[in-house]
Amino acid sequence: MRNILIIDDNDIVQLVLKKILAKEGYSVDIAINGKEGLARIGQQPYDLIITDLMMPYANGFEIISKIRQHPMGKDTPIIIISAITNEDSVLEGFKLGANDYLKKPITGRELIIRVKRLIDAQVSRAENI
Amino acid sequence: MWQDFNSYLLEYPSLDAAIYYFINLPLVIQIACVFIVIAFLATLFAYGSILVRRFKGGRRDRRMSVIIPRIDTLLTEHIILNEGLSENIPIDQIQLPLEEFRIPLLRSRFGKQMLIDRIVSYKKSFTGSIGALLRQLYLELELDKVSFKKMKSPKWNRKVQGMIELTDMDMSISDVNILPLTNSKNRELRAEARNAYIKLSKNEPFKFFDIVTEPLLMWDQIELFKTITTTEEISIPNFARWVTYSSNKSIVSFCLKLIVHYNQQDAAPAVMRLLENKDHVLRANAINCLGKLRYEEAEDKLVSIYSNQPLNCQIEILKALGRIDTGGHVLFLRQEFLHSSDFDIRKNAAKSLIKTTGVSQDLIRELIDTGTAENKLILKHCMNPLIKF
Amino acid sequence: MDEPLSFWEHIRNIYESTVFIYGMTMLLCYALLAILSFIGIRRAQKRDSYSDYKKLLGSPLAPGISVIAPAFNEGVTIIQNVRSLLTLNYSRFEVIIVNDGSTDDTLEKLISEFEMVQVDFAYNEKIKSQPVRRIFKSANLAYDKLVVVDKVNGKSKADASNAGINVSSFPYFLCTDVDCIIEKDTLLKMIQPFMHEEGNRIREVGDPCPECGYIHVVEENRRVIAVGATLRMVNNCEVEEGVITRMRPPRALIPRFQEMEYIRSYVLGKLGWSMINCVPNVSGGLGLFDKEVCIKAGGYDPRSFGEDMDLVTRMCTYMRDNKQKYAVRYIPSTQCWTEGPPNLKIFSRQRTRWGRGLIQIMSIHKKIIFNPKYGRLGMVVFPYNLFFEFLAPIVEITGILYYIYIVVTGQINWHYALILLLFVYLYAVMITTFAILWDQITYRYYKTWREVIGLAMMAFLEPIIYHPLIVFFALRGYYYFITGRKHVWGNMQRQGFGRAKPQAG
Repeated sequence: MRNILIIDDNDIVQLVLKKILAKEGYSVDIAINGKEGLARIGQQPYDLIITDLMMPYANGFEIISKIRQHPMGKDTPIIIISAITNEDSVLEGFKLGANDYLKKPITGRELIIRVKRLIDAQVSRAENI
Repeated sequence: MWQDFNSYLLEYPSLDAAIYYFINLPLVIQIACVFIVIAFLATLFAYGSILVRRFKGGRRDRRMSVIIPRIDTLLTEHIILNEGLSENIPIDQIQLPLEEFRIPLLRSRFGKQMLIDRIVSYKKSFTGSIGALLRQLYLELELDKVSFKKMKSPKWNRKVQGMIELTDMDMSISDVNILPLTNSKNRELRAEARNAYIKLSKNEPFKFFDIVTEPLLMWDQIELFKTITTTEEISIPNFARWVTYSSNKSIVSFCLKLIVHYNQQDAAPAVMRLLENKDHVLRANAINCLGKLRYEEAEDKLVSIYSNQPLNCQIEILKALGRIDTGGHVLFLRQEFLHSSDFDIRKNAAKSLIKTTGVSQDLIRELIDTGTAENKLILKHCMNPLIKF
Repeated sequence: MDEPLSFWEHIRNIYESTVFIYGMTMLLCYALLAILSFIGIRRAQKRDSYSDYKKLLGSPLAPGISVIAPAFNEGVTIIQNVRSLLTLNYSRFEVIIVNDGSTDDTLEKLISEFEMVQVDFAYNEKIKSQPVRRIFKSANLAYDKLVVVDKVNGKSKADASNAGINVSSFPYFLCTDVDCIIEKDTLLKMIQPFMHEEGNRIREVGDPCPECGYIHVVEENRRVIAVGATLRMVNNCEVEEGVITRMRPPRALIPRFQEMEYIRSYVLGKLGWSMINCVPNVSGGLGLFDKEVCIKAGGYDPRSFGEDMDLVTRMCTYMRDNKQKYAVRYIPSTQCWTEGPPNLKIFSRQRTRWGRGLIQIMSIHKKIIFNPKYGRLGMVVFPYNLFFEFLAPIVEITGILYYIYIVVTGQINWHYALILLLFVYLYAVMITTFAILWDQITYRYYKTWREVIGLAMMAFLEPIIYHPLIVFFALRGYYYFITGRKHVWGNMQRQGFGRAKPQAG
């Protein structure tokens, strides 16, 4: 069973993403801000992390950077889902190590395909080592 | 004072005594007495209003804390996780369990509004098939009628609210309902009606650009830009038309931004003609547009008009040269960098020089080595990847 | 029977009538402001009911904003404060922290926490300030919005702000204190008035152009140059890492009074003025400014004691001198929480400085007063501030002395005097209560109704306790200005927010 961590303070996004992904057979954990997210990453390994950019206490970029520095997070695929859509922010997200950037509003099907693709790629990479 | 009052009391009944006494007071004191009463009552009223407001607000919060989770459960169960979606049944053939939504909690006006707000919030985060199914639900529960009713309200902000709900849910509003509002006295209503028309009209959404005579405010531009660039079945015209013929400067400058967004290269000649315009702000916008379009034919013209331009246009020209990046004007950029007296000109010239791909590293090195302390700093600033501007 | 009135009695009559007219005008002004601010709040509410300012987040047309925050010896809380500023909800902004020659570890903490490295920055000194020693940017892309400027201490926040403006790259800048708590959507909300300003007209000017035969169309824009919002006290609020989790009015007496005063002054006062475009001042604690106009007006003045009002005045006079229409606007919602002076000593220093600043501004800009060339600024804003802000303490003190005189000489009509006193007292209470009501209409701040009513009740104590203090310190400020006494800036001992434990109830 694959684990996914969602870091987002928006209740709708938390609820819906959890339901959609749980239906596809993933086990989903929710963190309502960056601090909690980092704490959870320290507790167990995740196969994928989905994060928002605008959250209190620590913005998304800082969280991604810290995830990439964390021993348990440095290879985990990261998808950003955000309402911020300007080019600079997108580029910054990728440069910091995110694997994908979805702009709101998102479609459920596209999300599932991207999630699947990233997790499968990660799994096969792990198996090849 | 009391003695006077008492003397009145001896002669007249108490109410008349009070009135006679009052009339004989100096005017100032009379006014003061009246105002004391007014201030006292007004203060009581204010306290009362505060308490009523808190109470009502608290009650609303409690109702919301009950309704919202219920709505969320219903929406996630029946819409997000709808079986028909995953089986790829066409949206209009999916059977929605409407009875689940027709609970007493959601029958009141408050409940219906909460449901509409929540559906709209969901739709803002999720589009595609989920979005379409949400729209279907909105229609079948006849919530669109609720929104339409708002448009009939005499209050302008209710009208706008109704319109926005309908446009957020991709409902079509017939022209006969929107068009009168586009001429409304209230500016905000006009702007929102225009926005709705552009999003929903099948015929000629952009004819507003021809007829709108008032300036387009920054906020209106942002809303329109979002509507135009995110609405799916809109046919994008060549915006050069308005760049050339519109007398409304804010429309022209808005169209320049759209030209850049849609990369309309064939609009570039019309933008070039704007370089003759008397308004230096508009000229700066046009130069900016040409630079972002990377329109190479503009380079020579820009360099030739450079010396007659005010500062803001000159800076835009330097930026544009850096973006267009043909490498044909490196010497010009170098000239401006070395000899201009204005700091910003030198900085932008340096930036464009460094950005130009054809430029040799030797040239940059030479400039650094031979430059003044300030110029050295400018070059190093522009070359540093940590500094973005 | 009637004797001719003696000269002295003439003077007395004139004095009494003048004070009476003065008082009535002031009360009328307050009533007017209350009505205007109510209209403003209703309008803002109507717009909020449908407008989604978050649209700005996804728009490439959103203007960039530079957040400038000077810092001096803020080592205790600097990391938390900066992190809080970095998490503001906006798509295009930068955070410029100006280290004003701190003697503690402020700079070192910043450098280590945010991985700052010194960069060769092309510093263009558009506004004069103390020398800038070094400029830092972060090596970690996650913090690329942060810029740290290390400069020589300029003994004033104005000087540090100027350095920040010189370094900034966006057309608007938000000036704030690094220890203020700023609400997350502040940038989104405060940029709105800049984008909503009406008063635009397209006029056809002059004769048809000889070259093309058409009359050249001119657009007349009213440019918003500054926007302010409401400030409040953070004392006794529960704060968690730069986010207010529970609002509470201050418990200590002086900050409590100050909270009430701020609500009245911002929600009733400044919003009312904003409706007729007569705002005198945008607070230094939180203000969003148009950078170009600020630079052209000369930036902040380090020698001023009221540098925020001084800057706004100069920006307005610049616009008038250049025959351009301008506006200074206010939004009623609370966007910033600042630490109020916890004790009398620090409070007295603050008020004395404000008094000094006011008289200084009046004297520096005296050419504006009653000068029709400056339009609203000269005919409404400055005269109002001259008579009802500046002169008010002086009128009050002479009034009190006069009262004492007529009491001592037995000429007082006690009943009338008491009625008048009661009238003024209740009127003041009424205005303050309405201000709190307006504030509650804007948003239901605080958690319980008891807290709101408790704060409103302070209005009854204000004329007895708080107001005399204000008058006294203002007069002291004027006195210091006249005698040219050196001002001790001092340093607000930072209480630090992180240690506020959640309190029961």
